[in-house]
Amino acid sequence: MHAPPPVLRADALVVGYGRRGILPPLTFTVRPGEFWALIGRNGGGKTTLLRTLLGLLPPIAGAAERGAAGLGYVPQRGDYDLNVPARVIDFVRGGADAGWSFLDPLRPWRRRGAVRAALSATEVESLARRPFARLSEGQKQRVLMARALVGDPRLMVLDEPTSAMDPINEQAVFDRLAALRDARDMAVLVASHQMSFVPRYATHAVFVDCDMGVALAGTAAEVAGHDAVRRHYGDLMRAA
Amino acid sequence: MDDGLTLGAFFDAWPLFREAALTGLVAGGLLGVLGVYVVLRRLVFLTAAVSQAAGLGVVAAFYAQLHLGLAWLSPTLGAAGATLGAVALVLLGRRGASAQRDDLLGVAWLVGAAGTVAVGTRVVQEVQDVQTLLFGTAVAVVPEDFHRVVAVAAVLLILHGWWWRGFAAVSFDPDGARVRGLPARGLDVLLFATLAVAVSVTTRVIGALPTFAFSVLPAVAALRLAPNVPTALMLAGVVGAGTGFAGYVLAFLWELPVGATQTLLGVAVAAVAAALGAVLRRLTGAG
Repeated sequence: MHAPPPVLRADALVVGYGRRGILPPLTFTVRPGEFWALIGRNGGGKTTLLRTLLGLLPPIAGAAERGAAGLGYVPQRGDYDLNVPARVIDFVRGGADAGWSFLDPLRPWRRRGAVRAALSATEVESLARRPFARLSEGQKQRVLMARALVGDPRLMVLDEPTSAMDPINEQAVFDRLAALRDARDMAVLVASHQMSFVPRYATHAVFVDCDMGVALAGTAAEVAGHDAVRRHYGDLMRAA
Repeated sequence: MDDGLTLGAFFDAWPLFREAALTGLVAGGLLGVLGVYVVLRRLVFLTAAVSQAAGLGVVAAFYAQLHLGLAWLSPTLGAAGATLGAVALVLLGRRGASAQRDDLLGVAWLVGAAGTVAVGTRVVQEVQDVQTLLFGTAVAVVPEDFHRVVAVAAVLLILHGWWWRGFAAVSFDPDGARVRGLPARGLDVLLFATLAVAVSVTTRVIGALPTFAFSVLPAVAALRLAPNVPTALMLAGVVGAGTGFAGYVLAFLWELPVGATQTLLGVAVAAVAAALGAVLRRLTGAG
């Protein structure tokens, strides 16, 4: 059986700022159905790698190739200015502007069905008329996922989706992501400084630490078993 | 109040005040809409700095006409050039830290304000025009200026109505807009260009003070009441238009300077909207 075409490929990718790389070269391929964990401690280079993979930063060397299929991005909840007035429905509609152009600015209006489907998939229809700013952290995360789903992505990238959440909400987020991955046959890539979710959910992992000069990618078991990870993080990922 | 200065008297003399009152309405509406982006992107001092720079552009044009023989350099052209220069400076500064951007805005404002007053002393023949330019004291607006404001407002409002979703995306979710493949850089440049054109044209006609006020106060009022960005854009346009027109009428009735009256009316409307918004949020539990 042929492997499905990749949705993301890093080829000897070096990330950093200016002309200075902060991590060794990384090579890995993400395919639909996989659940990738991008892990490492705070300040270890996760965000730099994530922003390069998303095309928000240029690579220092190598390449990051995103497949032709859609990409859904869920930034950290704190990245949104809560002074911008928006109800949940307005917020989710914002995800429909993929493909917007000066010549076709009405494209989002034609994606109302996708907006309804995304609201339903994340169970936030009942919140549609509520102000986004007034939601709980768990509800906000579901709304952000709905916004990313509107573009019908083959890869969903989430940056620290469970920060400032209690363990119950945290598990609910990962359960939902795993369910969405299965239902939509998409890949999921989660950047997090927490490693406890890796054993249960991740099929693959990228571990980065710029202070140690380490960048690893592979199956979750391979990464968890690597000397550098075991030496510094003990049994945090033991069950992987 | 003078017995002669009534609402009836104002409308009896409507042909005399028509262009000026309607210029307030149109400029207020246009700047009100654009002001939503200004306020939410925390660029309030951008319009202050740019309108002051536009003022300097106008007096510099007067100076060039009088002393350098550059008859072709009209005040409108001077305002446009200075405005675009100030916006370009600020756009370049946006690549740096926010403190650096604030520094540039401060420098642009100070150069504009001090330069206008300083150069203004060298164009004493036009000193009344300089006062008008800084504080919006003009009671009359010539038809050519009124038509220019209407034409610019029509074009810019059509562009903003047609492309509002793109402007909103790059303003409030810039990373997400880039990931979703929107032409983020082009949208950003176009948004700033429309702001620059609106500010330069209105500063030339109604003055720096009301231009700054219309760019901030209607949006502040609308954002206290609107549930989402499209509603805020429309509400800010209506508030700006109403403030521009009513401010002119009140200036006539109470014999006050036009720009200052429009500005103070805008402050009052923003205060009422803030109070109303707080009450509504409390009533709906959304506060």
